[in-house]
Amino acid sequence: MSRSQPPRPAELLVRLSAPPVQRDDQLGDLCEEFEERAARDPAAARRWYWKQALGSAAANLGHRLRAARDEATAHARGDGMMGTLLQDLRYALRSARKNPALSSVIVVTLALGIGATTTMFSVVWGLVLDPFPFPEPDRIVGLGSAYPKLGGEMKFWENLSPAEYVDVRDNSRTLEDVVAWDMGNRQIAGEGPPQNVFTGFWWGDALRTLGMKAYLGRGFTDEELARGDAVALLSYRIWQDRFGADSTMVGKSILINGNPHTLVGILPKGVDIYGMDLWTIMPIGPDRYPRNRRQFQIMARIRDGATLRDVNTELEGLARRTEQAYAAEFDEYAGWSMRALTWNAVSSRSFRAGAFTLLGALGFVLLLVCANTANLLLARAQGRRREMAVRTAMGAGRSRLLGQLLTESLVLALLGGMLGVGLAALGNGGVRAMLSMIGAPVAGTVQLNGPVLGFTAAVAVAAGVIFGLVPAFQASRTEIAGVLQAEGKSATSGASRQRLQRTLVAVEVALAFVLLAGGGLLVNSFLRLERVDTGFAADHLLTMRLTLPREEYSGDAVPAFFQELAERAQGVSGVRSAAAASQFPPIGFSFRELWFEGGAPSEDQTLPRALTTVVTPGYFETLGIPLRAGRAFDGRDRAGSPPVAVINEVAAQRYFPDQDPVGRRLKIGGPDADAPWFEIVGVVGATQNRGLERPPEAEVFGLHAQLGDGANQLFLLLRTDVPPLSVLPAVRNVVREMDPDQPIYAIQTVDEAFASATATRRATTTFLSIFAVFALILAAVGIYAVVSFTVSERTQEIGLRVALGADAGGVRRLVVSQALLPVLVGAAAGLALAVPLGGALKGMLFQVAALDPTTMALVAVLLVGVAAAASFVPAWRASRLDPVEALRVE
Amino acid sequence: MGKGDFLGEFEQVVLLAVARLSGQGYGMSIRREIERRTGREVTVGSVYATLARLEEKGLLVSEEGASTPRRGGRARRHFRIRPAGVQALEATRGMMERMWDGVVFDGGERT
Repeated sequence: MSRSQPPRPAELLVRLSAPPVQRDDQLGDLCEEFEERAARDPAAARRWYWKQALGSAAANLGHRLRAARDEATAHARGDGMMGTLLQDLRYALRSARKNPALSSVIVVTLALGIGATTTMFSVVWGLVLDPFPFPEPDRIVGLGSAYPKLGGEMKFWENLSPAEYVDVRDNSRTLEDVVAWDMGNRQIAGEGPPQNVFTGFWWGDALRTLGMKAYLGRGFTDEELARGDAVALLSYRIWQDRFGADSTMVGKSILINGNPHTLVGILPKGVDIYGMDLWTIMPIGPDRYPRNRRQFQIMARIRDGATLRDVNTELEGLARRTEQAYAAEFDEYAGWSMRALTWNAVSSRSFRAGAFTLLGALGFVLLLVCANTANLLLARAQGRRREMAVRTAMGAGRSRLLGQLLTESLVLALLGGMLGVGLAALGNGGVRAMLSMIGAPVAGTVQLNGPVLGFTAAVAVAAGVIFGLVPAFQASRTEIAGVLQAEGKSATSGASRQRLQRTLVAVEVALAFVLLAGGGLLVNSFLRLERVDTGFAADHLLTMRLTLPREEYSGDAVPAFFQELAERAQGVSGVRSAAAASQFPPIGFSFRELWFEGGAPSEDQTLPRALTTVVTPGYFETLGIPLRAGRAFDGRDRAGSPPVAVINEVAAQRYFPDQDPVGRRLKIGGPDADAPWFEIVGVVGATQNRGLERPPEAEVFGLHAQLGDGANQLFLLLRTDVPPLSVLPAVRNVVREMDPDQPIYAIQTVDEAFASATATRRATTTFLSIFAVFALILAAVGIYAVVSFTVSERTQEIGLRVALGADAGGVRRLVVSQALLPVLVGAAAGLALAVPLGGALKGMLFQVAALDPTTMALVAVLLVGVAAAASFVPAWRASRLDPVEALRVE
Repeated sequence: MGKGDFLGEFEQVVLLAVARLSGQGYGMSIRREIERRTGREVTVGSVYATLARLEEKGLLVSEEGASTPRRGGRARRHFRIRPAGVQALEATRGMMERMWDGVVFDGGERT
């Protein structure tokens, strides 16, 4: 049994912050009390733990800081620990003000880096790591299923049928409170115009499954569920935004699509299942649906004592029993499987990979920010060598100087951190835009919360320590006598500092290279994907799905219904043509085995498998798929006429290389003696029938009336002259006239079907590109700073050169070429780094190699170009030096 | 008496909590005792920071108890007040009482 554990990051915070001798005591106390509290309310216990951890971390750090001070001041003279700290703080702020440009560049780049990291971490936290306020998230599971005959992919969305739900609900011993739901849009009336809200229709009380109570009112009762009452629950969000949090609404009636429902409660804050804002009860029971109407989702709670593994073992057994009982009637049950995942994993499945890619990229951005800040501080430290030397000469110890410089950089880091959090709060709009782009549940779930803030604070402090230490060590190592005596006469002083700065530039360039390369590869993939020809006219096509119950429709009645539906839909104004089909590009999923006439049967032969699509006659015309040879289906082909088939080009080339397929015959489903021969009458063009990213698949088309096998579940496809969704009400009427009991579902345009398949990719590409541009800017700033300071340091030398007759162009070339050396080294290192990291992106690349030479060359040219531009400004300034002035400089 | 011999407010609170628990107090119970009596929420970290300081000053002493599985196998550390701690508390109280003695606010009410 999984017991509630303290939140790991919070525990880590305490572990890291506590003085070593107290670590076990603090963790032990927290652990002990957490368990006590978790036994009553795990969610509250976790909140408590976080609060304790954050507060304790602050107290611990303060404690340790004071201890360190005490130790330091015990050796040196001083006004006591607080005096020193305050003095350092005052000094830090004063010196930040003294050099406002540099300080603000540091603070702003840090703020951008920390802001972006906080935002992205909030997203990953809110969507992937801890998206729901459920008390026991590990025990809430979603069920998915895979049907090899229908494409074989494990899906958790619109993939289970009412009968499968009943099987699980009634037979599972490892799951309890099993619920299922369907989703769709409904209109709710209220003040103002009616609003479309995404709605769930439930069998069962999901609040009980989640282990939660309604925020106001109550959930559905067993009696209401049994009767299918017209009662409703509203999400907390919509109750706030649309109904002004009016608590008197509960218990009263609201209109849903014009029908009165009793609002029995408001959902708890943050309970967001696929963005459904309205929950109602499914008015009819699951037994009234055909076994294969797979448009439902199932959620359940793991029983006490069972594990996820037990659940999956049991589901496997259940699937096998169903297969034995029903495979004869529903052949997709052959080899099918059911699986449970935690609800967190289910709800974040589609964008998990993208989110982590972006988080990884942000790690690089943050490193870059740190390197850049170190670089800038180093440049600043250079200008303060004399000051440090004087302070040392006056008796300031090394630790005192270190402490002071550290305080200075921490002050900058904290300023940057605070500004960054502010930016992150503003960036929420961008986050929401991104979430909707990748189809994630856009909800109140993503916000800046305690743990995320803790993370940001940690990043800011770490950044301060990291970049504060480098210049601090450099500065405190200063040779007093050397600096005081040199009076700036030495043109080549600080060789090791320059080496360090160049190294930092190289590091920055390398990091920027990796980000630019990643962004470039994704953009390149995306552009190529956009250019893929779908093979048909994908715009102005509306699709929707219908499933006819087997009890009411059997035999020829099924194809007759769909054919009539297509003909009637064609009569709707705005619809140019209509057809019905079992699948359409890009969502081809149903494969069948083929047997060609004249083939030699053998035992171990693997039969060719092709996408097999059942259509009504107007299919090719409606989708705009061109005919290449022979003819399409026409009026001659009916239920009783000789069976005919049409194949696509891919099938023609694969199965009949250098032959004319027209006139040849095949059996669909294998060499079954009783199966009819289908004569190939035509060849059509290939389409991207499995999505843009996969090559077109061999496809065989048969008429619903001849090949249907009683296929009772088809898509209606409408080619419109007007915006596709505008014909929907009229088409609904057509369906209602033919059979008022049949709902249409899975309504989308074909464009949307293509777009949703690339949504995660689009969001990842967009954001990675933004990061890459940011990286480029940071690198440019870093290079500019270094070159500027090098030039100012070499003022005398350059002045001497000019005085000796060097021309302006020569000086510029000298400065730029010296600046470019670390850039080239960095670019080379970046290329080397891009090799393993490109591999990590492999899954997201399309027709582009992980080390695409064009992309890499472009990135290198861009980086070097920007670096040259950044160093040109100071170089130009150097070339215009007045030698007299320059030689007089200090 | 030097200025370092008096206790800060939170030091007094922590030390009194240790005294109240008569040697049986450990981190969690001390923290709870403070929360219960003062109505203020305090963190484990701040309690330990003060405990460490008080122990450094020699006002209390701690010893490790037996480890228990409920704390992830970690031992409880019990805190006990020392005579110097009692003295410091009493000195602080004495000082406060001397300061309060005879204080009269407007309206003649002693608050």
